[in-house]
Amino acid sequence: MSTFWSLWVMVLVTFNLGLAFTLFVWGQRVEIPVQPDGTTGHIWAHGVLREGLRKLPLWWVLFSAALFVFGIVYFVRYPGFGSFKGTLGWTEYSKLASDRAVNIGKLQNLLQSYEGQTLAQLATNTQVLAMGERLYIDNCAACHGRDALGNHTLGTPNLIDTEALYGNDEATLMSSILNGRSGIMPPLGAVLTDANITATAHYVRSLSGLSHDAAQAQAGQTTFMTLCAACHTPQGTGNPLLGAPNLTDDIWLQDSDLGTIEASIRNGRNGKMPAWNARLGEPSARLIGAWLYARQQANQ
Amino acid sequence: MASGYRYFETVEKHAGLLGIGIAIMVSLGGLAEITPLFIRAQQMAPPANVKPYDALRLAGKDIYVREGCYLCHSQMIRALVAETERYGHYSVAEESMYDRPHQWGSKRTGPDLARVGGKYSDDWQRQHLINPRKTELESNMPGYPWLAKEALDPSDILARMRTLRRLGDPYTDADLAAAPAALEGKTALDALVAYLQGLGTTLSANGTLPDAMLDPSALEPAP
Repeated sequence: MSTFWSLWVMVLVTFNLGLAFTLFVWGQRVEIPVQPDGTTGHIWAHGVLREGLRKLPLWWVLFSAALFVFGIVYFVRYPGFGSFKGTLGWTEYSKLASDRAVNIGKLQNLLQSYEGQTLAQLATNTQVLAMGERLYIDNCAACHGRDALGNHTLGTPNLIDTEALYGNDEATLMSSILNGRSGIMPPLGAVLTDANITATAHYVRSLSGLSHDAAQAQAGQTTFMTLCAACHTPQGTGNPLLGAPNLTDDIWLQDSDLGTIEASIRNGRNGKMPAWNARLGEPSARLIGAWLYARQQANQ
Repeated sequence: MASGYRYFETVEKHAGLLGIGIAIMVSLGGLAEITPLFIRAQQMAPPANVKPYDALRLAGKDIYVREGCYLCHSQMIRALVAETERYGHYSVAEESMYDRPHQWGSKRTGPDLARVGGKYSDDWQRQHLINPRKTELESNMPGYPWLAKEALDPSDILARMRTLRRLGDPYTDADLAAAPAALEGKTALDALVAYLQGLGTTLSANGTLPDAMLDPSALEPAP
């Protein structure tokens, strides 16, 4: 803050406080001329209303005086009087930093006590589960749903069923959370005809025993073997290394109707799980992992 | 001082005079608090990574304002631990210097959006804007399904950008020339999603503000 603006604020504050304080003091000492009828002689409405004489109530005087004291003490202790920083050296930013340090300290102590425990061990601790659930709701529920059942519209997987695109063991699960995942299915609309796409979709439905047109599926098998089998395997059982889903079970990322499968083939899919390491850090992310582990166990 | 008392009658009996007196005293506070900040805001130099909205995001920002999103969502993270823990680094002035009008707000029926950019995928944003219950069962946010059907009108974006340039936004001629094409074939939903995904992204990837924006002298609150 430049000297000019600092002085500007100081002058205005001093003038304002000074004027108010002068009026406060003067208002109580000023001699008021009293008329013979016991009023001040100020009349309104042709003499119907006349101003009487009363001292200000003591509580009001004391309260006002206390406010002046408060104001002056505030300007001495806290920043506000021009560029004067106040004797406490308080700033909004140092307050935030110390509040954060307290918060982080509490959390750190707690997280340190969990170090070295597996997700299965952590999952037996009710405090861990409560924290894990809170973190899950804040960070994960938007896409995977509050109950971790996934969302077909977004194509996000159910997190508590028996299948996992990349694997459900501790190391893989934590890697999925911390580093994210990117599952890309290329769009095939440019290389396939509409009829071809429909036929392939019928074949895909046949893999998991859903209703389909047998002749169409027969025709689609060729396309599947040439284009799809590379990632989904010739049997259609998928490849966890690539995040290619198993097409033979009854677990679906998107809806399993013909139109949705056709859209997947035509436009591809771009499944993206963001990396959470920067936001959460591993110790906190493990709390979510423990909560998911407990939910998976309860679901089996 | 006793003689001063006679002036009281004048002030007591003339409401207009009393009003002027009150206005002067109240203005002193405003002059002390607002003017220094106002002058500083005029002199604010944009950090290198803060750019005016590109054409699509600008169109999105106008839709954000038109649909009244600010009535339920603020765009200012205050320097309080409960806010920075939930939303990330507190907002700094430079981040909203190209918002006209600013969208800071104070009403939070929904969450603060100052750093919502990149928190969710584009797909999530689309689904959520069309029907918030698709992604969050308990949401009480209204759906905005018409945005997906509303084609943007590329013809008036130039007028908007020229106006902003006149107000001081550093749009180049090349920016203006490319603007109508950037809106071609886009819907209002595309624009709004692009705008939302850009909010607060002047933060670097590890969640901290660039050093230029953390210069303590720049952040120190003016009294």
